[in-house]
Amino acid sequence: MSKESLDNIDAKLSEMLTNSMHIFDTAMNCLLGDTNLDSVRDDLYSTDKAINELHREVRREMIVHSAVNSRNLDIPLLLSYMTMSKDIERIGDYCKNLFEIAETGNTFVKGDDLDSYIELRNDIGKLIVYLQSCLALDDESKVQDLITLGSSISSDLDNRITNLLENKDEIQFPVASTLFFRYLKRIVSHIINASTALIMPTDQIDYLDE
Amino acid sequence: MNLKSFKNLSFAIFFLYFFLVSIKLLEKGIKTLGAEYTDALFESVSNPFAGLLVGILCTVLVQSSSVTTATIVGLVGSGVLSLEYAIPMVMGANIGTTVTNTLVSFGHVRREQEFKRAFAASTMHDFFNLLVVIILFPLDLYTGFITKMAENGTDFIIATGFTATKPNSPIKAGIKWGSNNLLDGISSIPFIGNLSENSYRVYAVLLIIIAIAFIFLSLRNVVSNMKSLMLNQIEFGLDKALARGGGLFAILIGILITFSVQSSSITTSILVPIVGSGILSIENAFPITLGANIGTTITAVLASFAVDDPAGLTIALHHVFFNLIGVIIVYPVKAVRNFPVNLAKRLSVITAKRRYIAILYVLVTFLLLPLLGVVIFN
Repeated sequence: MSKESLDNIDAKLSEMLTNSMHIFDTAMNCLLGDTNLDSVRDDLYSTDKAINELHREVRREMIVHSAVNSRNLDIPLLLSYMTMSKDIERIGDYCKNLFEIAETGNTFVKGDDLDSYIELRNDIGKLIVYLQSCLALDDESKVQDLITLGSSISSDLDNRITNLLENKDEIQFPVASTLFFRYLKRIVSHIINASTALIMPTDQIDYLDE
Repeated sequence: MNLKSFKNLSFAIFFLYFFLVSIKLLEKGIKTLGAEYTDALFESVSNPFAGLLVGILCTVLVQSSSVTTATIVGLVGSGVLSLEYAIPMVMGANIGTTVTNTLVSFGHVRREQEFKRAFAASTMHDFFNLLVVIILFPLDLYTGFITKMAENGTDFIIATGFTATKPNSPIKAGIKWGSNNLLDGISSIPFIGNLSENSYRVYAVLLIIIAIAFIFLSLRNVVSNMKSLMLNQIEFGLDKALARGGGLFAILIGILITFSVQSSSITTSILVPIVGSGILSIENAFPITLGANIGTTITAVLASFAVDDPAGLTIALHHVFFNLIGVIIVYPVKAVRNFPVNLAKRLSVITAKRRYIAILYVLVTFLLLPLLGVVIFN
């Protein structure tokens, strides 16, 4: 197997995560801060396009790699790259959805739960950075830590959504909040799925809870 | 350089030397057979069309134009095959080599669109080589302009005093030493040793068969070791070609990849799944294929270093000029450039719908027609 080309794919996945972190911060700042939406819109959409282009580049590199190394191909590794790149690409899409919540005039800046939302933002931001370092380090215990942390954030988001659905929480923008939590949960799930691709058998990727 | 790369490089160099030694052994085998027998043997290719078709058939059978052209260089270099007879055979080898990537395209047969692209990517090479042969074969046959270019090229290289062309060069001496030892080794086997004393013709035929087998074996090992050694560079080159699209850069990439792995089939076969997946267009893959056609000619030039007769270098240079002129004729004008590509695309539309036609195409083009032609022209 040609190591350099796989390093290239790793570098592209890492760049996708850097862009994902940027787009996530931008979208969250629109909901939790006083960011002028017009000033970040172009940057946000162009970052998402850059992520999509990197995703396509990863696929192209994998095809070229498979064609050149057809005789001794690490198929499970390539399949894990395929699923990982897809999961990372989806983070950008959900960040766009978060931004669209802000675009409809919803903001959580003046809500009572702002501090807990900021904490959520920081935790999920950390997950993205953590995934990036897992990609570089190839350390199974770190990936396990990431999955544990991600799963706890995911449960927390689930509880928040359940409370909203059961009308347990009085909240200013219930629909926007539900979507907000839902999108954040999807982002966390994609981070966890991407990390499972690093350590789990190919057939088990994405099916952590089964 | 890591240990694996060092191992690959060492093996590649060893087998390249073994390849040259095998060419020399072939020369010895042919000389042992004697002129009366070799003349009769090559009488069948005295018709240029028969020679062309024999070139196709031989290459299809060994799946390597390098083996065919290197063997032809050995035959020409030993003086038993004239340039006149050898030229159509080398042109035929050019056509025959395209069967390999066409067979590779069958790996995509399950998905219609993918197969359509992959089959077009492989057959555009067939159509290009057929087109060039249709144009240059009669032209060279009647005017001999490529032959003259090759002869002038040979004279020029010899005049420059290039070491490998000198009869007493260290390269030739090294090859001779290797082939003498190899011959001694083969002759020391009791059965073969007895033949050399009692039945020299059977002995000569055996030597020729062993030499061709060694040429095949050594080239195969050169290709596999060079491919392992150059994997990163090949991927890098193809990534760059993908990023830039087609053009002269892609031709250069095709030349470099093929030059480094000594096999156009490797380059063109790598392109098939890339085009099949849709990430490289057929039009942008075409110049890489043209580059592969040029790059593959280096093997014959290398083989010519092993033979004594400068005609060996002339036939190798003819191969270089023929493929170079072919690209110069076809590539610059868009309408001409698109001609083989469009033919390949049209055929792929038909074969994608009726896939048995693809099998028929291979059997008819690469086996039945050449066989029939050889029978007719003889």
